[in-house]
Amino acid sequence: MDQLLKLLYKYRTFFTFLALEVLCIWLIVSNNNHQKTVFLNSATGAIGTIKESINEVSRYFSLAKSNRELAAENERLRVQLLNSTQVPDRGVPFDTDPDTTDMVQYRLRRAEVIDNSISLTNNFFMINRGSRQGIRPGMGVITATGIAGKVRSVSKHYARVVSLLNIRNMTSARHLPSQRMGTVQWDGADPDKARLLYITREVKVQPGDTVITSGFNAIYPKGLMIGVVSAVAPDPNQRDLKIEVNLSVDFGTLEYVYVIENRHLIEKDSLIKNDPLNF
Amino acid sequence: MSKNLPILLIILLVLLPLQVVVLGHLALFNIGFCFVYVLFLLLLPIEISPVKSLFGALLPGLVVDICSGTPGIHAASCVLLMFLRPFWLNNITPRNGFSVNTLLCIANYGLSWFLLYAGPLVVIHSLAFFFLEAAGSGLFWTTLSKIMLTSFLTLVFMVSLQYLFYPKSKV
Repeated sequence: MDQLLKLLYKYRTFFTFLALEVLCIWLIVSNNNHQKTVFLNSATGAIGTIKESINEVSRYFSLAKSNRELAAENERLRVQLLNSTQVPDRGVPFDTDPDTTDMVQYRLRRAEVIDNSISLTNNFFMINRGSRQGIRPGMGVITATGIAGKVRSVSKHYARVVSLLNIRNMTSARHLPSQRMGTVQWDGADPDKARLLYITREVKVQPGDTVITSGFNAIYPKGLMIGVVSAVAPDPNQRDLKIEVNLSVDFGTLEYVYVIENRHLIEKDSLIKNDPLNF
Repeated sequence: MSKNLPILLIILLVLLPLQVVVLGHLALFNIGFCFVYVLFLLLLPIEISPVKSLFGALLPGLVVDICSGTPGIHAASCVLLMFLRPFWLNNITPRNGFSVNTLLCIANYGLSWFLLYAGPLVVIHSLAFFFLEAAGSGLFWTTLSKIMLTSFLTLVFMVSLQYLFYPKSKV
C-alpha cells in the first residue's frame, strides 16, 4: 500500500492529467450529441468483437434447443401457409405503380445475439449485424415468439439493442379482445412480466387475453405477439387498470433474432414532420 | 509567483472576454478560428507546480467551453497542452537559462524563442480541439486545413497582442 501511494505521488502530474482528461471526455460525450453517437458506435464495435468470439464457443452448447425451436417455428409457419385463404390475384393488370419493390413494406434480417442481460433495470443486448448489413438505429428486433427490442447504436458489424426489459423502453400495444390501445412497459422486477398501461377500467380484461403490437409506430409491424395477460387488478383510486402481461419471449435464452426494416419509415416520418399545426 | 499573480489575473480577465465576445465569432474562410486565450497558459512561469498548472489550464478552457456551447472540448485540449508544456520547455532552454519567476513572453525571451516555444504547443492544442470536435478522422483534410490556419491565426494574434501591451522598452 505504501509503495502504491509512493508511486501515485511520484507520477501525480500524470494521474492528474489523466483524471482531468477523463473528466473532459465525459463532459464532451454527455453534452455533445455528435460525439456521443460516435463514442457509442465505436464502443459497440469494440465490445462486439470480444463478445462474438466468446459466443462462438458457447452457442454449441445450446444447438439442440435451437434446433427444436426452429422446427417449432417452421411448423407454425407451414400451418399458416396451408390455412391461408388469400389467393394472389393474377387477373388484375398493373394500374399505376408497376414497381414491385413498393409492395414490400417490411424486410427482415436474421442476427445472432452475442451479449445479453436481464438482471439490470435498463437492459441491452448486442447482435452480430451492423451498418454493413443494413441495420440502422431505430429498427425493431423480434424473435420467433414475439418482440424483443429496438436498435439503439450501430457499428460496422454489430448493433446494440434496447431490450424490452428496459424500463425506459415503451411499446405501443393493443389488447386483442377489446381492440383497446395501450403501452407495454417493463417495471424492472421480473424478466418474465411487463405492465400494460393506459387501459381504462370499463374494459373487460381477463387473464389469458392476448396483447399484440398496434403498428401505430413505425418500429414494429401490426399484430406481433407481445404476451398474454396474467393478472388484472382494478384499482379504485386510478383511472386505469393494473394489468400484468406474461411476455412471450424468454429473454434469458435469447439467441436468434430478426431485425425489421420498415421501408415506409421515411415516408411516414415526413408526414408527421410536415404537420402545419406543429403538434 | 506572487508578483506575477496580479498580472496573470489581469491578463486572464482581458483574454477570456476577448475570446468569448469577439474572437469566438471569427471564422476566416469558414475554417480559420482564433484561440488567443491559450496565450494565458503559455505565459505561466516555469516554476508553477505541474498539478496546479493542470487545474489552471482546465478552468479557462471550461469557461470558454461553457460560453461557446462545446462542453469539454476546449478544456480537454488545454489540459493536454499544459501537460506537454514542461517536456517541450526542457528541450528548448534558452542559452542563458530561464530567469526566475518571469512570464514566458516575447519581452523576456525574444520573438524567435517565443515562436519556437509557442508554435508546436498551439498546433497541438488546435489538433486536439478539431479532432475532438470532429470525433474521428472522417473529415481528415478539412480538419487538417482548419488546424493549420487556426494555429497560424492564433500565433499572429498572440504576437501582436504582446507587442501592443508589452512595449520593447520595458525589457
